[in-house]
Amino acid sequence: MIVSTSLRGLLRRRSRSALALAGIAVSAALLLDMTMLASGLTQSFGELTAAQGYALRVTPKGTLPFDSEAGIRAAAAVAGRLRRVEGVRAVAPVLGAQLYAVRGDSVGEPLFTVGVDPAAQMLYLLVEGREPRAGEVVVSQPLAQAYGLGPGSVLPLATELDLSLGRPRQSHPARVSGVGDFLYDFAGQRSLAAPLADVQRLTRRPDQVSLFAVAAAPGVGDDVLARRLERALPELSVYSTRELMRAMDQRLLYFRQLATILGSVALVVCALLVATIVTIGVRERFGELATLRALGVARRRLLLGVMAEGVALAGVGCLLGLPFGLWMAERLDRILLSFPGIPAKLSFFVFNPPRVAFALAVVIVTGALAGLLPGWQAVRTPLGRALREEAE
Amino acid sequence: MPTILALPLLLALAQPAAPLPPPLPGLLVERRLAERAGLGVGDTLYVRALAGAAAARPFVVEGVFEREADPNRISRNELEVRLHLPDLEALRPTPDRVDRFAVVLADGGGDAPRAAAFARWVEQLAFGTRAYGSAELAEGASTTFKVVSRFHRAIGLVTVLAAGIFLLCVMIIRVDERRRDLGMLRLLGVGRGSVFRAIVLEAVAIATLGSAAGAGLGIGVARLVNLYYARVYDTTLRFALLTPRIVLLAALLGLVLGVAAGVLAALRVVHVPPQRLGER
Repeated sequence: MIVSTSLRGLLRRRSRSALALAGIAVSAALLLDMTMLASGLTQSFGELTAAQGYALRVTPKGTLPFDSEAGIRAAAAVAGRLRRVEGVRAVAPVLGAQLYAVRGDSVGEPLFTVGVDPAAQMLYLLVEGREPRAGEVVVSQPLAQAYGLGPGSVLPLATELDLSLGRPRQSHPARVSGVGDFLYDFAGQRSLAAPLADVQRLTRRPDQVSLFAVAAAPGVGDDVLARRLERALPELSVYSTRELMRAMDQRLLYFRQLATILGSVALVVCALLVATIVTIGVRERFGELATLRALGVARRRLLLGVMAEGVALAGVGCLLGLPFGLWMAERLDRILLSFPGIPAKLSFFVFNPPRVAFALAVVIVTGALAGLLPGWQAVRTPLGRALREEAE
Repeated sequence: MPTILALPLLLALAQPAAPLPPPLPGLLVERRLAERAGLGVGDTLYVRALAGAAAARPFVVEGVFEREADPNRISRNELEVRLHLPDLEALRPTPDRVDRFAVVLADGGGDAPRAAAFARWVEQLAFGTRAYGSAELAEGASTTFKVVSRFHRAIGLVTVLAAGIFLLCVMIIRVDERRRDLGMLRLLGVGRGSVFRAIVLEAVAIATLGSAAGAGLGIGVARLVNLYYARVYDTTLRFALLTPRIVLLAALLGLVLGVAAGVLAALRVVHVPPQRLGER
């Protein structure tokens, strides 16, 4: 009864309750977004890294994947050693390079090129056509659109330019075997994949790769396998998805901290709003509360009623803030994904239900606590003074 | 005494000249690396390139430098050494190759059209190269910060929205609390306009005080942020900068929000007949 009386009080003061709800909704939305941002990119990156089951990366000692021009030499032998490690399901070699598209006598733009083993690769998903054989390439969708390429088309490629003549030193025609959805490309990136041996030959890096992606056998944990690989190949660096995510986290420290700061500010604003509204409400109902106490209603029940106001405001505010927060996250994600070089398939804001539930629970608890202080003051005031003040 | 000192020198001159080992090439070490690795001027450091199979070569530390505060490199924040170009080329598998050239034009190269003309000339001369003027380069390099700036602006808009709602809420509560007083004033002959102005002025005062307190808090937070990140990244970069323009913008926003909240709150009472303002 006391709780419903308190809640009816909120309905009586409609405009101010509506405004408070709007304010709490905005704060809750901001907190929700910051919660999604704090772990979103790392989680999204982790999911992308583990795509197609290749959750481990083996790179030259001390470097992150594609962090430098360093390569792994004697790649075939290293691949053999990797495959012999217990718990390895598949090994995918990758060699990164830059080739140029040739148009007529002149050279076009540089294209990011990867040399892969078409039977074991994790960089693209075929959209059209088939995996490349010797002398063939799979092109990314933006490249296919820009150059009007499809399976069967021929794309002349060059590795070096003659700076004075503006011509390729040598042109290598490559037949397009398929069009792929390149998982790690940024929006609109024009790239291609070719058999590893072709890229090694064109770039004059025989038996060399930039990295290996390794997939664990069913039932073998990534971290366990990473430790085994490190023991087997101490001259190389091995990263599990978790370690790559940690490295990513380190580079995105700024965003995580910004999210924490803004989330805290949102929580403070929310607490201030609830406290203001509940304080005013309690002051207005000071006499009503004193009368109820005089009639024998326990302080605890009255306090519960006041706290219920805070919880109701925060709870409804959260419900309203949830869709607003999701809408805002989509907009903010679009802004942040325009960072140069960020894979288009990543997301800065990831809806993680347990984390989101925790954030909203924090808002509701904050609402309850914000109502506690004015409620406590109201029920602690000596009854005689409270009744006299109201009469005056 | 002079005789004794002169003797070894003479002996040395008299001996046949032994072939001296070639002096070690020198390098500069970044201050952070010097501190972490305990390096000082005169120490020998073995360096090899990650790319390539060349063995590590010894270098003498000739100096310690402080890296310029470059926001573009803060996320990777790698430690640096600086070598003479031929020494670095000798370590790498690709000789006679550079990433870029920096060019200073004679006779005041700051002239943008002349720099642009020079850039086009270079591009025609050396096909496949791109030449950038310093402004163009800064524009390209600042893409990341433009994105961050857009993100901050979006967050700022949401914050302004929350602040506006909060202010309006406070004003409505304050006006509601004083409905009886306002009704009394109106019955005593105080005009609607005066009541309206009083409420708006009160809202502006609250917004102004809030803005001033916010600016003070902003200065404090900016200092804390800079101190914190200076420690995290060991850099002289300033991450938060509170300029007079930002303070002015915040004050103006506060003023606009104050006026808007005051007007909306005042409209709730000025159109109500004074005798009804006393009703509960």
